Order: sequence, then structure tokens, then C-alpha cells
Amino acid sequence: MSAPFRTEEFLVNMGPHHPSTHGVCRFLLTMDGEVVVKAVPYIGYLHRALERICENRTYHQCLPVLDRFEYCTSMSCEYAFCLATEKLAGIQAPERAEYLRVIMLELNRIASHLIWYGTTSLDLGAVTPFLYGFREREDILDLFEMTCGQRLTYNYIRIGGVSRDIPPEFIPKLKEFIEKFPRKVDDYEKLLTENPIWIVRNKNVGILSKELALGYGVSGPALRASGVKFDLRRDDPYSLYDRFEFDIPTGTVGDCYDRYLVRMEEMRQSLRIVKQALEQLPAGDIKTKLPPNFKPPKGEVYSRIENSRGEMGIYIQSAGDSKKPLRVKMRGGSYNQLQVMPEIVKGGKIADLVAVMASMDIIMPEVDR
Amino acid sequence: MDKAALTKYILDKFAGKVDLLDTGKVEPVFRLESDFLLEFCRAINSDETLHIDFLCNIAGVDTGERFEVVYSVASVKNRIRFDFKIAMAYENAEVESVQSVWPGANWHEREVWELYGINILNHGNLTRFLLPDNWDQGYPMRKNWDAPDFVRMPES
Repeated sequence: MSAPFRTEEFLVNMGPHHPSTHGVCRFLLTMDGEVVVKAVPYIGYLHRALERICENRTYHQCLPVLDRFEYCTSMSCEYAFCLATEKLAGIQAPERAEYLRVIMLELNRIASHLIWYGTTSLDLGAVTPFLYGFREREDILDLFEMTCGQRLTYNYIRIGGVSRDIPPEFIPKLKEFIEKFPRKVDDYEKLLTENPIWIVRNKNVGILSKELALGYGVSGPALRASGVKFDLRRDDPYSLYDRFEFDIPTGTVGDCYDRYLVRMEEMRQSLRIVKQALEQLPAGDIKTKLPPNFKPPKGEVYSRIENSRGEMGIYIQSAGDSKKPLRVKMRGGSYNQLQVMPEIVKGGKIADLVAVMASMDIIMPEVDR
Repeated sequence: MDKAALTKYILDKFAGKVDLLDTGKVEPVFRLESDFLLEFCRAINSDETLHIDFLCNIAGVDTGERFEVVYSVASVKNRIRFDFKIAMAYENAEVESVQSVWPGANWHEREVWELYGINILNHGNLTRFLLPDNWDQGYPMRKNWDAPDFVRMPES
């Protein structure tokens, strides 16, 4: 007679250098066989004290720091900071600059979603989508490069406008991209949407309820996939977003598959906005002149924009007598998305944790700052 | 609800306990005492007209004279947004945790505790997470914090 089969819970360290943690994040998992009993995220590996660095610089010097806040959508970070500063100082950017900003923001959103599309499918074992996604992202980066010379940290959007106008070859190249991209999204969907493996790995995995999402401050595509039709571009409009027509895709279940579908549709909607912005693009100035000794008046503002990972908010407090901000606080969508993860991976398999983390589109520099 | 109506509604509802600050440039900013914080949060969360169901952000601030904790809240349902803050002296700075109203406050509050040294009452998990576990050099977001490799830029 053999002794009865004995089981016990054990601890697994997932990360910090795990390919699916998209940066450096560690999960301490309490496992019962393959089932996750408890997951505790440990962050801070990428903490660069960006907020403290910003307090030590002038408002203009802060912008390159903001680029590093969330480098997949640097344009959004710059824009969020510029918007907050402009609200604080009562500056209005010229119309052409606002149109250029919208074009860049939406192109950047598509580029960011393409990274997500590629890496997510790579995490779940599909290699082709990664190559497809990065191929089209390359076109967008080319457009950015010809505009501002940079491919990742742009430093393009400035307080009161943008750093330079688009070159003449930009518009034909962008039109070409607008022409071909909808077909490419169809191709992406053809690879995964009806793929049986993809469906088994994603459907009914990591279900995030509406109440949990709101309570934990989850925003962006993850919130919309849970069935909340909330998009800051429509519900708290900034820039010129009230001039464009676009739909807000939502999910019903709130699982990984819904988050996938929402992001795929968002790429199409972003392209619609780019197209309209390009058609309406007026001529004119691209920058408001600011005094060399730029000091916003005393005050504070929390301004938020819809980034590809959810609500990106910048809180600035100005003392009124300084060229440097008194306090800059950066709030990224990933911060709250990672916070809610232990709640939704509980009771699932360890392989589902990878799917959930991927579908939440968490990027660690945004969490750690 | 526009800014003026929202301001009037909150000032009327919490008369005598909430002050309006003139620093809010776009959305109104209110100031309240720390012993009223939790009651205020519960009230704005359950109030039908406000229905504040979304905590955007919590920011600790060291103004050079005192600490502030700034809460940015919003209503997804009613499209409302405003800020409120608690101001306190450096000595024995502490605020109540608001996790019972918005569970997402957890990490935001932990960060305020870790980087400013403002104690969060009834938090339940005040452990280091952005700084190294063995960090012993004080609270790096305080204005008087200094390190050998930290160079202060001149004002002009």
C-alpha cells in the first residue's frame, strides 16, 4: 500500500525577466498545481524618478522626460503634459497645430495597438502576427521620422503648438497608408479572430466585471471591453475631437477576447479620425509664441486624455513664481490595470495569467515611472 | 453639470465643511479637513446627482510649506470631474485610506506613503514597491530631500 497522494501549495516567481511581462515585472504566485491561488505583483524595477526629475526642470525641459514615461505612445505623453500646461497658463494652440496633433496622436495610437497586437499573439504562441504588426508600425514610424527625426521619443508636441510643420512628402505617404491600412486590419483579424486556438485561449478568460473595472480605476479599451461606453475623446472632449465622427467599440463579457476585438476596431476608428483630420487640415501657424521666461500663473490642474492604454492624466501644480513646476504627477492606465490583475487571475491557470497580462496591454515604464 | 453648477451643488451640500480654492484652473478644487475625508468620499460616491464612481488619481504634494494630498475624481455616468485636497503640516502627517470607497486607491496611497512619508490610516498593505526593499534614505519626493548625485538646477 502506498501513502495517500499528498498535495500542497507552492510559490512561483514569475519574472522579473519573463518574456510576457512586457518590461520588468514580477509576480509572486501561490500555486495549487497549475491553478493560481494568489498573485502578488511586484513593481518598481523601472522606477526612474521621472516626477522628481520634472520638478527640477523648466516646463519645456520636461517634455523629453515625458517621452520616456510611456514610450509606446510618446506623442500622447507629450500632449497630455502640454494640454495640462496650456490649461494652466490659458494658452490656445493654433488650429493647424491642433490638427497635426490629432493626426500624430491617432497614428501613435495605431502604432501602439500594433505593438500590442504583435506581442500579445507572440505571448500566446502565434509568431506571424508579430511580423505583420511591426511591418505596418514601420510605416507609421517612417511618417514620424520624416516629421520630427525621431522614431520612438519624438519631442514633437510642444507647449503652444508643435515643433515643426510636416514636410511636403508627408501627405502622399499618409494617404498611401490610409488607403492600404483597412485591408491590413482585415488581414490581422483573419489570422486570429476565428482561429480556434486563439478563441480557446481568450474566450471567457480573465473576465473583468464592470463594477470591478470602475472600482479599480481601469480605463481605456479594458473598461470598454467590460461594457462601459466611455471614451474621453467623446465624453470629456479635448483638442478637436468633437469635430470628428468615430464609433466607440464596446464588449459585452469583459474577457480577453473582448479586449482583443475592441482594440482591433479602435485601429479602424483611429484611421477614420486621421482621414477626417487630413481632409480638414487648414493652413496657418503651428506654434503660439511663448515668452522665453515662461512661468504659468499659480494654480493646479489635472488633465486627462484617452491614451491607447486608458486614461493618461497629468497633474501639475504651479507655484506661480517659478519656471519649474512645483509638482508633476503622471497617471497611466497600466498602473490601475496591473492593480486589478490579482483579482481577475485568481482561480485561473498560470497560462491564463499570460493571456490576461497581454490583453490588458500593460507596459511597465508607465507603471513605475 | 457645468463648473458653476457643480461648485454650487457641492458647497451647498457640504456647507461649512468644504471650501472652494481659487487654484483650480479648469475644474473646481475643494479643500476639506482630514477627519471629514472618508465621510465626504462616501457621500459623493453614493449621491445620485454626483455618482462619483471613478478615482482618477491621488497625488501627494510637498509645497515647501506643508503637505497636500490631492484626489482627482470623476463620474463615468454623469461626466463630472473635480479635485479635492487635504492640506496638513509636516509633523505627524496622516490621512485616512479611501479604499473602502474606491479599491483602486490602494497603490496610489501606497505611493504617497512611500515617497512622501505621509501615513495612510487603515491601509493594510503599506510596503515598499517603487523603491528598493532595503531603501533607507528617507522620502525622496520631499522638497528637502537630497542625495549626493542629485544636482539642483538653478532657478534662472
